[in-house]
Amino acid sequence: MLTKLTRWSRLKSPWILHLNTGACNACDIEVVAALTPRFDLERFGVLLKATPRHADVIICTGPATRQMKDRLIRIYEQTPDPKFVIAVGACAMSGCVYRGAYNVIGGIDQVIPVDVYVPGCPVRPDAVIDGVVKLLNKL
Amino acid sequence: MKFQIPIGPQHPALKEPIGLRITVEGEIIRDADLRLGYNHRGIEKLAESKTWVQNIYLTERICGICSHSHTTCYVQGVEKLMELQPPKRGLYIRTLVAELERIHSHLLWLGVAGHEAGFDSFFMYIWRDREIVMDILEIISGNRVHYGINTIGGVRRDLDALQVKRTLDSLDTLRKRSEYYKHLGTNEPSFVARLARVGYLSREEAISLCAVGPTLRASGVPMDVRKDDPYAVYDEVPFEVCTADTCDVLGRTVVRIKELFQSYNIIEYLLKNLPAGEIAVKAPRRARPGEMVSRYEAPRGENIHYIKSNGTDKPERLKVRAPTLGNYAATIKMLKNGFIADVPLIFAAIDPCICCAERAAAIVNARTGEEKIVPMDILRQTSQRTSPNKDEKREAEWPL
Amino acid sequence: MNDQFLIEKAKERLKDKVLSLTNPAPRRIFLGVSVENLLEAVNWLKKDMGFTHLSTISGVDLGQSFEILYHFANNACSLTIRTEIPRETPQLPSICELTPGAVLYERELQDMFGIAVQNIPDSRPLLLPDGWPAGNYPLRKDWKYERPPEVIPGGKK
Repeated sequence: MLTKLTRWSRLKSPWILHLNTGACNACDIEVVAALTPRFDLERFGVLLKATPRHADVIICTGPATRQMKDRLIRIYEQTPDPKFVIAVGACAMSGCVYRGAYNVIGGIDQVIPVDVYVPGCPVRPDAVIDGVVKLLNKL
Repeated sequence: MKFQIPIGPQHPALKEPIGLRITVEGEIIRDADLRLGYNHRGIEKLAESKTWVQNIYLTERICGICSHSHTTCYVQGVEKLMELQPPKRGLYIRTLVAELERIHSHLLWLGVAGHEAGFDSFFMYIWRDREIVMDILEIISGNRVHYGINTIGGVRRDLDALQVKRTLDSLDTLRKRSEYYKHLGTNEPSFVARLARVGYLSREEAISLCAVGPTLRASGVPMDVRKDDPYAVYDEVPFEVCTADTCDVLGRTVVRIKELFQSYNIIEYLLKNLPAGEIAVKAPRRARPGEMVSRYEAPRGENIHYIKSNGTDKPERLKVRAPTLGNYAATIKMLKNGFIADVPLIFAAIDPCICCAERAAAIVNARTGEEKIVPMDILRQTSQRTSPNKDEKREAEWPL
Repeated sequence: MNDQFLIEKAKERLKDKVLSLTNPAPRRIFLGVSVENLLEAVNWLKKDMGFTHLSTISGVDLGQSFEILYHFANNACSLTIRTEIPRETPQLPSICELTPGAVLYERELQDMFGIAVQNIPDSRPLLLPDGWPAGNYPLRKDWKYERPPEVIPGGKK
């Protein structure tokens, strides 16, 4: 009974943390635009949080650069369980145009485990909403 | 007694990772230091192994907000190297997309400034209107960001009458709403009090630290690449260089709002006088050996690309200096003798686009040397609490 | 003040210190000097000609030497000063007393090419990550990067 309640409350209010690990910013602006009145994401109960300790879902954009690698692992460990990671954009999936550069390791799945991949360069805000809803359906 | 605060790479204020270390004494900042490198992707090295056309798509992804500025700057340089002259209609379309990008970038910045100052409804209203501009860009080029409309020798897509009419109609809506935001942004007492006298940068310092863009123009220096070094069709289009002389964040806001109105006028002129003809000329595969410097006025300041070719179909060296890097030295100067609470606002006022510049604040207690990570959200809440009494606190020396 | 005027002034003031002077396009002038006369040329540009704005400093690896370009700009023209330094002893005087805003660009030169800039006010690395092995200068032509093979989670190994 209690597990059903906690599961329902997790489904109805996923709090997100927006993390940029070296992206060109286009995906970040589209994620922030997904929170603005036209593509409202807050009607799903999603709130944008500032610190990893409050978040359920990490929305990650950008290829993992060498400098950000340790910080990324640290932030992933600071997020309390159960946690999910959404990789947004072609950069976070595999590195986009930056594959082969000396400071880029690849997509973020080389560093932390990822649950949902949202393709696009940059992603449309509609696709971000689609990704979040698909994640909620998986729960 | 001095403390040092690190503002680390993950923070909600700016959507990009930078490391900022500020040394504070009480609430007043004594020194600041920037740690770049989180966003460094090694683009200049990658560009040497891709052809001229592939590099257009690479330079586009240096930045998401000013992507057209990097592409145009690069393509202009290559066209001068190959000695091509794109047709007039192509140049008009290129300038049109450039001005639309300037509008969307300034509206983005206004919303972010409102959000940093605590005025969230301003942020939501402005971004709703920004969607009008994104729709126009999508109709013209096919994508909301990363338009991909430039090619060496001209542009890739043409405009038809329906797109022109739709753009002109949206301009009326945008003009009316921008008047409202201008009235709100410059007359609302608490918003103005939050921005006035924050981040002061005098005229001589701005010139000697080589600041660019609205940061420089808000200190009264009328330097604008569109007037000094005209490219595309800016020598035919009438417009004015906007300056302000308050030298603080309020001046930068005023400069950006004035530039919005100039951009509306430029777009109207371009659409009414669009010449007929071809949109591109064919470009050769290889470029002759030589070098070229190309400058462009991006929404954030002067963007400069240096291109060197050695006769093959790949560049020998591509050097990009994005506008935000030029403003870093000025930012450090502005942060000194300010308050911690002003850090998000001063940093947002140069309109940082760190992904352009390179390729969390940690507060270090100077007394004991221990580090404490302070989330930017808490900094912003502190800033909103202390702002009504700002004037008295500016003169007080905290007795620690 | 147009290109012709600047070219004549350069020849008249710097005389035989000018190694090369080209004008490939309108409002673009490239002036070559040797390393010893660099500070004097920059001083002349700033004080007499009013070129107070330094856009950036670029470095190019030419094989046997490094070529450094200083891009200056004012309301009328964009003038670039170029110098060359040998590859074995890459040393350069800093122009930070004349132009305080040049410090970040000189730090980038130190990082990317391994050039030692003398009298620089702040010589920490600018762009490269913390654990970068010393002696690796990415923008030199002989430095190649081999990408290690990546592991696709859940995919074929």
